[in-house]
Amino acid sequence: MDMINVKNLKKSFGSLKVLKDINFDVKKGDIIAAIGPSGSGKSTMLRSLINLEKADYGDIIIEGKYLCKKGIYAKEKDAKQICSKMGMVFQHFNLFPHMNIRKNLITAPLLQKKDSKAKINELCSEMLNKVGLYDKINEMPSNLSGGQKQRVAIARALMLNPDIMLFDEPTSALDPELTQEVLNVIKDISKDNMTVIIVTHEIGFAKEIANKIMFMDNGYIIDFGNPHEILDNNKNERIKSFIEKVM
Amino acid sequence: MDLISWITQMVDGSFITIKLFFIVILFSLPLGLCITFFYTSKNIIIRKITGAYILIMRGTPLLLQLFFVFFGLPYIPFIGKYLTFDRFPAGAIAFIFNYAAYYAEIFRGGLLSIDKGQYEAAKVLGLSKWQTTYKIILPQMFRVSLPAISNEVIILVKDTALVTAIGLTDLLQVTKTIVNRTSNIVPFIVAAVFYLIMSYILTLIFKKLEEIFAF
Ligand SMILES: Nc1ncnc2c1ncn2[C@@H]1O[C@H](COP(=O)(O)OP(=O)(O)O)[C@@H](O)[C@H]1O
Ligand SMILES: [Mg+2]
Repeated sequence: MDMINVKNLKKSFGSLKVLKDINFDVKKGDIIAAIGPSGSGKSTMLRSLINLEKADYGDIIIEGKYLCKKGIYAKEKDAKQICSKMGMVFQHFNLFPHMNIRKNLITAPLLQKKDSKAKINELCSEMLNKVGLYDKINEMPSNLSGGQKQRVAIARALMLNPDIMLFDEPTSALDPELTQEVLNVIKDISKDNMTVIIVTHEIGFAKEIANKIMFMDNGYIIDFGNPHEILDNNKNERIKSFIEKVM
Repeated sequence: MDLISWITQMVDGSFITIKLFFIVILFSLPLGLCITFFYTSKNIIIRKITGAYILIMRGTPLLLQLFFVFFGLPYIPFIGKYLTFDRFPAGAIAFIFNYAAYYAEIFRGGLLSIDKGQYEAAKVLGLSKWQTTYKIILPQMFRVSLPAISNEVIILVKDTALVTAIGLTDLLQVTKTIVNRTSNIVPFIVAAVFYLIMSYILTLIFKKLEEIFAF
């Protein structure tokens, strides 16, 4: 069974067609890097998978269950259940600024009664260790650097033990010297039998960790496959010029 | 009129002022929060009604509203006799409904300042709408609103003196009477100091709250 299937996905904002006909499958353990020009629909595609955007048409199937079938969505309760297998990390971290780091991590699992409070706190320490920020456990988010905030955001998503992690330009809001620490954490995660889709402009990083590249342009996936084939000597002029520009 | 008797009268008057202040705070803040929710409701009719309410409360003099409740309501045909209030409840009602409108606008400003990424993060973490509201949104809304609320609360301390106009024996009313009887300016100064101290204490309390809930 595939982790994700997307068929004929279409989405408009008003009269602006953002996703025109998106089709792809994600296998377990796939690390997919989605690249392409700004405005090509990468974020909208990613956000549709986790129900932050409502598609107008098409199928979205997560681990065999229909989130959306021909544009008709599962009931809210079912949709929530289906999406609970996925975690998402945003460009702007979206940490909860009024909670310290520990609370940021434990609030969701506590509210969902995922485990006992003691177990959840233990997991919290473990996750913060994993991203190298255990010493920040009692800090407020405003006292952290951008790179640290993003690592906390990743740890927070991992608290819910997702099968699939979605990253939307996780390093785009960071100063260049802070991107590496975040990329390292993502690299670690991608080795943990996790399925990952990451929208990124870090072509070198994409090549290093991804087993597939998805190239989006103007609402379509115009290439999808082996990183080597797509990134090195691509015949397509659009792709070639884009890669030359961002490299 | 001797010193002891005017001091006891002023103490009684300040108790009425303080009581009015706390009752208004106690009811107008939650009412303001409810109004905010109505004002941000998806139902356009509820939104319009709430908008009109806020416009009336903020666009007409508080003193007029006070007179309206105390002197005006009893004259309404048929139901007027059920809307006849003593001075204190009349004052409290007028203040509560007036201040709730201001607090509602402050809270709404706080809500608008919250980034939509907060709602999205809560959603992908599986929080329900209600959990998102009370764990993520309301705490941030209150924090953002604190300075403006603090300002409004201090204005309330001074505004309570308006109830003098409907004959309630609050601090200002009592003070005025004593000044008339004793031909002495000191009670005015004592009253001024009382209002000043109360405002000052509230300023300190809100400063502290802002520190505690800083982020
Ligand atoms: N909520 C929205 N409302 C209106 N237009 C939107 C919205 N979100 C995205 N868009 C538009 O959709 C297009 C694709 O956006 P996006 O998916 O963010 O592209 P990318 O992530 O590839 O840069 C852009 O033209 C963008 O302006
Ligand atoms: Mg984007």
